[in-house]
Amino acid sequence: MTFLVDANVIVYAAIPSRYREPCLEVLAAIAAGKADGKVSTAVFEEVWHLELSGRVGPIRGLAERAYRAFTPLLPVTDDIVARALRLDAKRLGSNDRIHVATALANGIATIVSADSDFDQVRAIRRVDPLDDRAITRLL
Amino acid sequence: MFTERLQVLMSREQRRRLEAEAKRRRSSVGALIREAIDTRGASATPEERSRAIAEIKSMRGGRFLSSRELERVIDEERERLPGRARRRR
Repeated sequence: MTFLVDANVIVYAAIPSRYREPCLEVLAAIAAGKADGKVSTAVFEEVWHLELSGRVGPIRGLAERAYRAFTPLLPVTDDIVARALRLDAKRLGSNDRIHVATALANGIATIVSADSDFDQVRAIRRVDPLDDRAITRLL
Repeated sequence: MFTERLQVLMSREQRRRLEAEAKRRRSSVGALIREAIDTRGASATPEERSRAIAEIKSMRGGRFLSSRELERVIDEERERLPGRARRRR
């Protein structure tokens, strides 16, 4: 099953917390070709912003490593922006709408994310990295 | 030399966009599709991907923020960018 990987999964794979191991497991499975996870240019941009902000600690090089692991990224096209604008998810932020629209435009119905805001969108299923059973089914 | 023929199903809208883009570039739909295939083919090997993940695994010292806090940092970074670009000049 193909799924979209959110920026927090990539960032949490690099910093100490209870999220780290499951997030690393997801990324490693994708890199090894055992799971079909995708990263979009919008997700990549968020990782890069977080790295450059310096507010998540010393995670220098994370964006470049994520790029090497997940290229080619899913592009955010004009069609995806149009879908994001039409999305029925009033409480979802603009970038999260872009993520959902990117997934739907690519026939992806699942996003792995620690962000529960995605739970309000019926069109997509969120899998939390801490949900062992759901992650096991996905990988 | 092109020797392989492939039939691809797509929506009417996708076909319209392909033909419009080919016309804009004074190229053909086939050339556009071949270019897209070549672009996607320029990706990393499984070994390169696994090495990148191993490097992420070896990273130390990051600070945990909730997903909501991460989003706030991203928003603030976007707002700060023009000022930061000016300072770097």
